[in-house]
Amino acid sequence: MTAAILVTGGGGVGKTTVAAGLAVAAADRGLETLVLTVDPARRLATALGIERLGNTPSRTAGRDHLWAAMLDATASWEAIVHRHATPDVAERLIANEFFRAIADRFPAGQSYAAAEQTAEFLESGEWDLVIVDTPPAAGGIDFFLAPGRIRSLIGGRVLRWLTGAGLPGRRRLYRWTTRPALRAADAVLGGHLLQDVAEFLMDLRTIYDGVSRRARHIERHLRRATSIVVTTADPAPLGEAARFFRELPAVAAEPRLIVFNRSLPREWMLPPPPVPASGALKKALEDNLQRWAEEAQRRHDLQTDFAARYDTELGVIPWLPHPPTSLDELAAMMDVATGLDLAALDVPNP
Amino acid sequence: MFDRDLIVVSGKGGVGKSVVAAALAIRARRHGQRVLLIGMVDGAGIAAHFGAAIPGYAPREVRDGIFAMTIDRAQALDEYLHLQLNIPRNAPLGPLSKGLDVVTEAVPGIRDVITIGKVIHEAEGSWDLVIADAPATGQIMSYLRAPATIAQLVPTGRVRDQASWMEGILADAGRAALVMVAIAEELPVTETKEALAALEAEPLIAVAAVVANRVLSAPGFGSAALEDLPPGPHRDAALLQTSLVTDQDEWMEELRPDVMLPYLFGVHTAAEVAARLADTWEAAS
Repeated sequence: MTAAILVTGGGGVGKTTVAAGLAVAAADRGLETLVLTVDPARRLATALGIERLGNTPSRTAGRDHLWAAMLDATASWEAIVHRHATPDVAERLIANEFFRAIADRFPAGQSYAAAEQTAEFLESGEWDLVIVDTPPAAGGIDFFLAPGRIRSLIGGRVLRWLTGAGLPGRRRLYRWTTRPALRAADAVLGGHLLQDVAEFLMDLRTIYDGVSRRARHIERHLRRATSIVVTTADPAPLGEAARFFRELPAVAAEPRLIVFNRSLPREWMLPPPPVPASGALKKALEDNLQRWAEEAQRRHDLQTDFAARYDTELGVIPWLPHPPTSLDELAAMMDVATGLDLAALDVPNP
Repeated sequence: MFDRDLIVVSGKGGVGKSVVAAALAIRARRHGQRVLLIGMVDGAGIAAHFGAAIPGYAPREVRDGIFAMTIDRAQALDEYLHLQLNIPRNAPLGPLSKGLDVVTEAVPGIRDVITIGKVIHEAEGSWDLVIADAPATGQIMSYLRAPATIAQLVPTGRVRDQASWMEGILADAGRAALVMVAIAEELPVTETKEALAALEAEPLIAVAAVVANRVLSAPGFGSAALEDLPPGPHRDAALLQTSLVTDQDEWMEELRPDVMLPYLFGVHTAAEVAARLADTWEAAS
């Protein structure tokens, strides 16, 4: 069976780099590994070979066991509709301006599409391990909640209230739109907003059964996967990380590990050795180390606090002078990282 | 900067939107203004930067003269119906608000317009200045565009009138402006430039400033001087500093910010960071 690692965390913490680094490490152990990413930096995308190839997995240059693909989070709602609706309903839905509004703005749609694609790769059986750089949608946790949200949007109280129980028919819709309270509502709102929305939701309702069944499958995949949280020692990402630790257990497996990216060496916090320079250079080097020592101390304090508060394992990646931009640099990053042992993440042996 | 009614602060996730919004609020207060800080998505950032509890929907004073609130969409919708659409409090709103609840859940343009509508409503109120800690760059356009979207979807009626009113206020450079926050790294710079280009093509709101956050200053040594140094913490820390500054300068060239706020080494609490950034920013202005 294909193992899955979901890499989560706030924006700008290096999720993509960590996901890619783990994937390189796994591939180097001989596991057929697929890394899925959302929005990689240009040079990293080039290194993974996904700049040209987009969302079809392709083998990376230089590492036979490593595959990479983009998760397509743009054509998401259209893909959902095409998959689950009859052709004429699909056409009507996609032409609807409410659909456009939803497709553009409802992040659960994008997260759901990403989760659905992930599930497909897991089910294909082509890889030993799939590593997902989860989309940084609002709150990050959306990726895990999306299948449930899609089910409740399409099948939940919205449509039950509009149509009563069961699959609606046009006749019911007619009766609904002639209810006096709603005519009054439309008079206030202007135009036929509610009626237009109702008609749109009717069409959407026809895809409920298909989407619902699929969403449950996806939820099961997400629950079985190993998830890790990446952060830096900054307030916003730490807040996001804490949220994952609090909220993820309700919808998926508890995060296995917190990874602190951009950590600084402990030895910088010790009394400094004599400066191997003189004059202005000596002073500049001392001042520089002094600043970084304070920063190292701050980062270590936050790391230790977090690991203790959430009683979790700690992974640490040093702050590298340049972010890794090739597969070899990713492998080198994994060599200097600590606590990112693949065996501890339920990754099978090849 | 502070003679407007509304400043919207946005940027890619993780660049420090909330701290910049908090620093702006502290500065505006020093200029004698009564300020409301609004968390459009959540109030956690605001809370941390003032060392206060997460603010609720009712504005609460987090520091002398600085108030904070977090938008709660259900309450904003209720208020929108009563105050903005002038539906009397005792009107039989049951089915209507239920209908609207359906609509807001299904049509995110309405969700966005209710959120930004509350922000604009407060900006037109008794505050000297309203500062919105806005959603990330990826979503900000849909919030700014929401009034126009609604005006298109709804041909007539009070909702449309409200939406047009909002559109007008956002587009008035004397009343509202956007502050974009970034750090000098590839993805934040690319995203900021995309947002700026989009706003140039579709001028929904004036851009007051592009702020570069966490800027490292040039070290007092060149990389050549480091080559002869023996390995050890002095050399390692110096190499890290010079490499980071080199990469940063490359992206700074692309970003061309109006304001640069320094990286603060070793500052532990978010409240301390906000206060120090406000000082630095004020001194540089």
